[in-house]
Amino acid sequence: MTNIGKSVIRKEALDKVTGRAKYTADFPSGEMLHGKSVISHYGHGTIKSIDVMEAKKEPGVRAIITGKQYPLTGEEIRDRPPIAFEKIRFHGEVVALVVADTPAIAKRAASLINVVVDPLPVVNSPSEGVSKDAPLVHDNVAEYEREEGVHPVPKTNIANHTKIRKGDMASGWAKSEIVIEENFSFPPSDHIPMETRSATAEIRPDGKVLITTSSQAPFMVKELLSQYFDLEVGKIIVKTPLVGGGYGGKASVQQEILAYLGSLAVEGRTVRMINEREEDMITSPCHMGLDAKVKLGCTADGYLQATELTYLVDSGAYSDKAIHLSRACAVDCTGPYFIENIWCDSYAVYTNHPYPAPYRGFSHAEVHFVFERAMDILARKLNMDPLELRYKNAIKPGHTTPTQVKLNRSTVGDVPMCIEKVKQLSRWEEGQLIELNERTVRAKGLACVWKNSTIPPESSSGAIITFNEDGTMNLMSGVVEIGTATKTVLAQILAERFRMSVNDIYVKMTVDTQSTPEHWKTVASRGTLMGGRAVLAAAEDAIRQIKEVASCVMKVRTDDLEIGNRRVFLREDPKEGLDFRDVVYGYTFPEGNAIGGQIIGRGNYILRNITYLDPETGAGNPGPEWAVGAQVVEVEFDRRDYTYKIIKAISVLDVGRVLNYKGALGQVTGAMSMGLGFGGRESFVIDDKARVLNPQLRTYRPVHFGEHPEYIVEFIETPHIDSPFGARGVGEQGLLGMPAALGNSLSLAAGVELHHLPLLPESIWRKKEGLNT
Amino acid sequence: MIPFEFEYIKPNTLEEAVTLYERLDSEGKEPVYISGGTEIITLGRLNVLYTGAVIDLKSIPECHVMTRENDRLVLGGCCPLTEVENANPFPLLTSASKEVADHTARTKITLGGNICANIFYREAVLPFLLAESTVTIMGPDGKKTLPINDLFDQTLQLNKGEFLVHITTDISSTKAPFFHMKRRKQWTTGYPLITVSGMKKDGDIRIAISGLCPFPFRSERIESCINDRFNSVEERVSSALQQLPGPILNDTEGSDQFRIFTLKNILSDLVKTLEGVDH
Repeated sequence: MTNIGKSVIRKEALDKVTGRAKYTADFPSGEMLHGKSVISHYGHGTIKSIDVMEAKKEPGVRAIITGKQYPLTGEEIRDRPPIAFEKIRFHGEVVALVVADTPAIAKRAASLINVVVDPLPVVNSPSEGVSKDAPLVHDNVAEYEREEGVHPVPKTNIANHTKIRKGDMASGWAKSEIVIEENFSFPPSDHIPMETRSATAEIRPDGKVLITTSSQAPFMVKELLSQYFDLEVGKIIVKTPLVGGGYGGKASVQQEILAYLGSLAVEGRTVRMINEREEDMITSPCHMGLDAKVKLGCTADGYLQATELTYLVDSGAYSDKAIHLSRACAVDCTGPYFIENIWCDSYAVYTNHPYPAPYRGFSHAEVHFVFERAMDILARKLNMDPLELRYKNAIKPGHTTPTQVKLNRSTVGDVPMCIEKVKQLSRWEEGQLIELNERTVRAKGLACVWKNSTIPPESSSGAIITFNEDGTMNLMSGVVEIGTATKTVLAQILAERFRMSVNDIYVKMTVDTQSTPEHWKTVASRGTLMGGRAVLAAAEDAIRQIKEVASCVMKVRTDDLEIGNRRVFLREDPKEGLDFRDVVYGYTFPEGNAIGGQIIGRGNYILRNITYLDPETGAGNPGPEWAVGAQVVEVEFDRRDYTYKIIKAISVLDVGRVLNYKGALGQVTGAMSMGLGFGGRESFVIDDKARVLNPQLRTYRPVHFGEHPEYIVEFIETPHIDSPFGARGVGEQGLLGMPAALGNSLSLAAGVELHHLPLLPESIWRKKEGLNT
Repeated sequence: MIPFEFEYIKPNTLEEAVTLYERLDSEGKEPVYISGGTEIITLGRLNVLYTGAVIDLKSIPECHVMTRENDRLVLGGCCPLTEVENANPFPLLTSASKEVADHTARTKITLGGNICANIFYREAVLPFLLAESTVTIMGPDGKKTLPINDLFDQTLQLNKGEFLVHITTDISSTKAPFFHMKRRKQWTTGYPLITVSGMKKDGDIRIAISGLCPFPFRSERIESCINDRFNSVEERVSSALQQLPGPILNDTEGSDQFRIFTLKNILSDLVKTLEGVDH
């Protein structure tokens, strides 16, 4: 092995560090027009009037779109007008769209549009949403067009209900000698990628629709635009250059629709939309909030027997991905533990909040905060070391998951080994709580994590390999380069199979839905598994073709041939062979006859044996494997001031196989930082009228350099047999346990159980003082 | 992006700046003086601030001084915060300045810009209020110099067309024992939950606060409670808390209750730090 595991520098590194890398909004605007949204300043209300007279007078304004009834959009339920019509359902919702000659004119005109709204009572949390007499965000959710497998409750705010029914609850509770019941919650927040979303649309006279977008899902943009607007799918071409961070937020299709409608309003001219930060936070989809209830029971010696969980996902004003997010809450509704009896009800609940996109970890960090906090509370009641409780109950091969999948070593990895390793790295034995002086304590908190994907069973990935005249290769995959260096890892996989240098592989960075084979969406830590398998299949295809030509020229059987270092050669005598340069564009015999022709390798991959969940029990196989891990956060807490510093954050993750060491390390520490931000500071502050008070980086602050702890990351390698070289997902796992581990360390340090995020000095003080939160 | 168009003019003398102001004002341009210009960008793009013309003071030599004249330190209003921090002529000012915004922004944000800012924390003013500095301002009526504590009431009380030229501080005050604490909602970045500057001068403690109210202030009533040495530290702090001006902020950075809780602890640390320290 020469390429796998090495810290190969990402292919686009030089462009990125020199500032030459181009993102969607960087391409010259030329003759483009510019779109600007007018957004709602109310959480809920009836639109009385929209006055565009003043805006229309601005020279350079080409079109103003308002109030017209466009087709409803939304991924699993079509509940969302692309531009608010008659009703406003969240602060930040698009009410009108201006198209003008320059961005400044568009913005100026947008500020001149006067929207008169009659406020309505708001639904300000999912718990409020399911309460009796709650205002309805949508009059009747059941009347909307929807996909199969979605279960809304008519005339309520419940857009979807997923059930997990495993085992026998009565017997589980009967065996439970210790039982706890706790409630947890956190408000919505945001992803904060460096690049705010951007999209352009052009509609050609022949009906072609050209979109360029900063998307994690260019193929989904194509599919959904076709469905929403009844367009021929082949006429839609979507391009995605480098994306400056996605974290799930750019997997939702929203801004592209506005760009398309903008272009439609100006005879198809190109219209560009660029989100300002405020819009990127509240107008485009955000990160879900959650209200949760957990009941958990175990025997007196700490074996988990039963759990009953209710998850109320803050679906915001529109269900879009919230349905899928609420389903994922149910699938991995516990931590990575074996529990025989599980009952979970997970709901997507409409509120008057901005609506969620996926967020790195896809519901898992959220569920883990709830469940892993509950585990610590249970351990305290048991008077047992929380690490021991987790070790005793760690899920292992032979056990079944909440959706009743029987696990093996390949599918679940090694949870106990992760716990053992993190115990050692965190010096758990020295004690969870150490008093430094009369005010300051150091405290450690632990959380275990697991994550499978819940992507549709038919999701697939494709790859194409072509050759250059010198025998080097070009690799085309539909995976979007969102900053994870997956395209480089795919090149490593290809280089490894061809036994050649990764430097001789050129990677096409831009995705173009017309010429790049499809990769469903660049989400769910599935780029390496699915994209990688497609690349390996394409490699086999190309190798077969190369060998066929060579076998003819060399008069040997194809199975006597090997490849390596851009040559095809005889296994027995490697000196006997042909350079790729003489084969990959056809072989020409001395007399002039030629055979072969250019070689094009093609491959695809589709996940195997994935099933839909049974609507009554939730039984089913949601995804290919669980990446597992154990994480510890150590804080230094001031018991007088309630301030704290995060000293250390440790992750031990079973990643199956490390493909690019520093790449993986970067992914894990980046994810940990994001998780600490989510746990410790990042949240929307929402007032009683459902307005977001801090949609700006000056008042909404992710973790800044200098605020970060020491990061310690170790990898365990239990191969996932189906995956290239055994690799498991690694893009999200570092985040999953951070909010819970932080909550566990602070609950111990402060001497009070903490149930809400973010974990601010003020919120800890309020809990300790018994004040309202 | 700033949605409105505006003129940009960079005069070289104090007089030129004032003349420009008067002309642009008479043309209805609603001119503003700037030096770092950060608020034009950050508030302009939000339509919170509008102007038809900016007069950039950075090229005026008097606004950019950083000198010691006899026993006085003179700092120009257009000195970027990072320049003042690096030269460090006034350690309390350095402490206060270093906590404002972030380093990149502070290479642009200036002393005068921070003190005259729309964003109401204006933490750079705290050390000068304590040092009882004097400010020199320029305006249509020419140059004048006044004690900062007479001119600063929530904001620097400038008349139309006036701007801050420089601030003069006694060297003895720049060397006085001090205390500075900025507490945020969380960790080490962001606006203040509470910022408190303290100085010990002539045997007494002086205190100025930002982040408690929508303006920074120094309060004689708070200081007289704190300096009442017949009482215990706890009693002095709790009587000082009875003397707070209003309104107390209750916003996304924190509640009014938590601000007062935090202030209480900081004041007690301040007294313990400065008490017993001899000048």
